[in-house]
Amino acid sequence: MVDEAPSATELQANPIVQTAFAAAWSDSFPETHELRHEEGGFIYFHPTAGDVLIRRVPPGGRRSLKLNDPPLVPDHYLVATYHTHPVLIVDGGDPDPSPDDIEFAYDSGVPWTIIAETGITYVGPERRVGGLTGPEGSPS
Amino acid sequence: MAMLTLRPSTPTISGHKALEIAEMDAAPVYEDLSIYRIELLLENDGWHVAFRIKQPRMAGGGPHYIISAETGEILSKKYYQ
Repeated sequence: MVDEAPSATELQANPIVQTAFAAAWSDSFPETHELRHEEGGFIYFHPTAGDVLIRRVPPGGRRSLKLNDPPLVPDHYLVATYHTHPVLIVDGGDPDPSPDDIEFAYDSGVPWTIIAETGITYVGPERRVGGLTGPEGSPS
Repeated sequence: MAMLTLRPSTPTISGHKALEIAEMDAAPVYEDLSIYRIELLLENDGWHVAFRIKQPRMAGGGPHYIISAETGEILSKKYYQ
């Protein structure tokens, strides 16, 4: 039984997570102005088996994505969210986490990972606040 | 003789005008400005206009501006996403 949630950095090293990040970036169509939009979802962790699950959310807008309602996954804890910033710098987009991303990440109690042309970064807590206890969705 | 230039206590550009300038710039760039609430602050370097996401825990970001309180010029802007 693991009590501490995996950190954002540890999750980034997980092959399932890496595949999800790559798929989200590709599906965001960053190179196609007319099609580009945000993609992302939630990352869950099973405290005994140690496996990681991904739950995507429906495609978002060009500069927004609804991450406010993580589904409950039986026996798994929400440990992170992820989303893309597909508007490229050359088109005026700022790849950095927005002030809202940062605020909502801390508010949710799990790290928010952002996938952009400049790389992958996270904001908010390093790992799920409070460990793998309490409500299985957002810890706060 | 030394001259002292005092900053006027009342900005030439009103907050409403600064907001109008920001909205005119943002409208063609952002799909829908109705998802944002607006923070408007007068600081030493001008009007700070920030479009912040209304809905809690919705990923995204709006534009942030600094607009001259004397000329209305956009001094800086960031198109967050």
